Amino acid sequence: MKKKKLRLLTILFVAIVVINTIAGHSDPLKAASSLNKDTLTMITSPDYPPYEFYDTKGGDVYDGLRLRQIVGFDIDIAKTLAQKLGFKLQIMESDFNGLIPALQANRADFVMAGMTPTPERQKNIDFSIIYYEAKDTIVALKGSNLKQPEDLSGKKVGVQLGTIQEQNAQKIAQKVAGIELKQLNKVPEVVQEIKSGRIDAAIVEDTVAKGFAQANPDLEFNTILSSEASGSAIAFPKGSSLVEPFNKVLQEMKDLGTLKKLGTKWFSQNITTKTVSSTPTKSRLNLDFTRILPDIPFILRGIPLTLLFTLLSVSLGLIWGTILSLLKIINIKPLTWLANAYTSVFRGTPLLLQLALVYYATPQLTGYKISALEAGVLTFTLNSGAYMSETIRGGIQAVDKGQSEAAMSMGVPYWLMMWDIIFPQGLKNILPALVNETIGLLKDSALVSTIGVVEILRSAQIVGANKYIYFEPLLFAGLIYYVLVMGLTFSASALERRLRQSE
Amino acid sequence: MSNAIIRTEFLCKSFGKLDVLKDISTEFYQGEVVAILGPSGSGKSTFLRCMNLLEQPTRGRIYFHEQEITKPKTNIAKVRQHLVMVFQHFNLFPHMTVLENVTYAPIKVKGINKQKAQKQGLELLTKVGLEPKADVYPSKLSGGQKQRVAIARALAMEPEMILFDEPTSALDPEMVKDVLEVMKALALSGMTMAIVTHEMGFAKVVANRIMFLDQGSLAEDSTPSEFFHNPKCDRAKQFLEKML
Repeated sequence: MKKKKLRLLTILFVAIVVINTIAGHSDPLKAASSLNKDTLTMITSPDYPPYEFYDTKGGDVYDGLRLRQIVGFDIDIAKTLAQKLGFKLQIMESDFNGLIPALQANRADFVMAGMTPTPERQKNIDFSIIYYEAKDTIVALKGSNLKQPEDLSGKKVGVQLGTIQEQNAQKIAQKVAGIELKQLNKVPEVVQEIKSGRIDAAIVEDTVAKGFAQANPDLEFNTILSSEASGSAIAFPKGSSLVEPFNKVLQEMKDLGTLKKLGTKWFSQNITTKTVSSTPTKSRLNLDFTRILPDIPFILRGIPLTLLFTLLSVSLGLIWGTILSLLKIINIKPLTWLANAYTSVFRGTPLLLQLALVYYATPQLTGYKISALEAGVLTFTLNSGAYMSETIRGGIQAVDKGQSEAAMSMGVPYWLMMWDIIFPQGLKNILPALVNETIGLLKDSALVSTIGVVEILRSAQIVGANKYIYFEPLLFAGLIYYVLVMGLTFSASALERRLRQSE
Repeated sequence: MSNAIIRTEFLCKSFGKLDVLKDISTEFYQGEVVAILGPSGSGKSTFLRCMNLLEQPTRGRIYFHEQEITKPKTNIAKVRQHLVMVFQHFNLFPHMTVLENVTYAPIKVKGINKQKAQKQGLELLTKVGLEPKADVYPSKLSGGQKQRVAIARALAMEPEMILFDEPTSALDPEMVKDVLEVMKALALSGMTMAIVTHEMGFAKVVANRIMFLDQGSLAEDSTPSEFFHNPKCDRAKQFLEKML
């Protein structure tokens, strides 16, 4: 009797599981349990206010090394969605053109970044229903009289790389003769190009254009009348089981008016930038550092990360470079060959390319979701190891042969001799070269801003994006780098002086 | 069965086409002070450097206490502890103090504890007259002082035999005497020594055996009085005429 009951229960249970699996995720509220995890990872490009941007004033959580207070229209929607579906929400960031690769690398569950579903994108990723519609505008200098697509004939027009505006601009360029397109990574850069006169106009979405026009009194924008509204949708990896529950909740939010309310909250907000009251000067480069004063602590907080990054990369690079240099010195042909081949590849390809490959390819190759910081340290270690191996090899081989003979003649074993006698002298030989390498790494660390590590440069760019300004935060970041490099130079020469005492 | 510390059998060494050593067979016994003489290019230093395998012989065999050390897989580091060398250019470790130079190998190679090694090291430095310099770096020493530290460093290993490779050739003349004094004291204390040198006067007084090398061959092997007063081969006669 008991046995029968048990069997029946088992069958029932199996049936439920099977039905659940086949039926997919008809019930959105079950999405959390069926996805087998409780946190959803969203990735976005927080340089696009008011959709998503860093709140640099107060309230930012400083959890160890990363600053995480990305806010905006998309973020509010994402939070609501996650909450209704019973997930916790984790937010990651990258450049806009790194978002789709991140989805494909399974680095995130979904993207919200004011992204428009296009047939090209739909080949690689899935989209939810449209949650917001925006119109394109033409941004140009005041008085330039560039209002509609026809006016752009023979002009240089800027767009953000990989965006729907880029595609729309291409369509315009097919109709209007003589348009030259210039693609840039970020909207603030596009705007800066207008201000510096290198391009005549830009195609930018209306909400964003409004912010820039408010912060830059020399700019104006005009909505393109003929443009079809480009809608924003949430992007998912191809075949994601999340699409359906998300759509259901989005529809609900539309019906209840929640979306509209959020739109009003973010899009009608006045930009909190001080408007320049003085009459615009002739020079277009009117710097006003008071505009970034409140954000200076935010930028300064990028310093520990930059320093940690440099320290890790240099020390690991030194270890790896030492190993490589030993492989080159000891007389085992295949190992020497390998070390030489390795060096030639890593010295022969751009660091930025290596960084992108390590960051985006590692999850797909190994299944390990390498973090941006880890990817950065790994790439810089691999790269600087290649350079340092040559330096170290030279330093070791420059040590007088009599040193190793003296050690050997007393029966000191090879590795002990290398470690105690040869390395310390070789290291002293190469100290100036090592300092150079460290300075190079410190400055090259700015490259990891491209994969979203909020170090000094990234912090400055975030501030620039929030304030719709460009030069002030960058100049400030430059000053920080300079001070750090000077500090490094002084401490290195002090160290050198101390080491020289034995001579 | 010989009880030599070192025995060489038909030792040959060539650098490319140049035959530097030709079939040298000899033995070194406990307590011997052997001066290895000969014109430049006769292969004296190469011969000395073959004995502790700093140079790999091209042919022939070398035995240390009748163990062949020219066999592959010999633990040569172990053998070298007993056959320490003193170099023409001293080769002190520049990043270590004088005392550290002397105690490094005893501590790291022989595993003697640090305090004992330091005590021993200071005694040896006293012996070569450089105890006050224990804590300075070699760069602060004169050539003669450096070489005396190098001798102390060699002695710290308590070797069975010391190989001297032209120990006074890189020194200013007024420094030579100090170093030779130390070596003489060492010889009198019964240390086994092989000395490649151009100091004829020193060889005559201190050595108890002379090896004369000519063009890579062992041309004469005799006592100092025989060699200096009654050399057998013509090359040795010419050599002595030039030197004395």
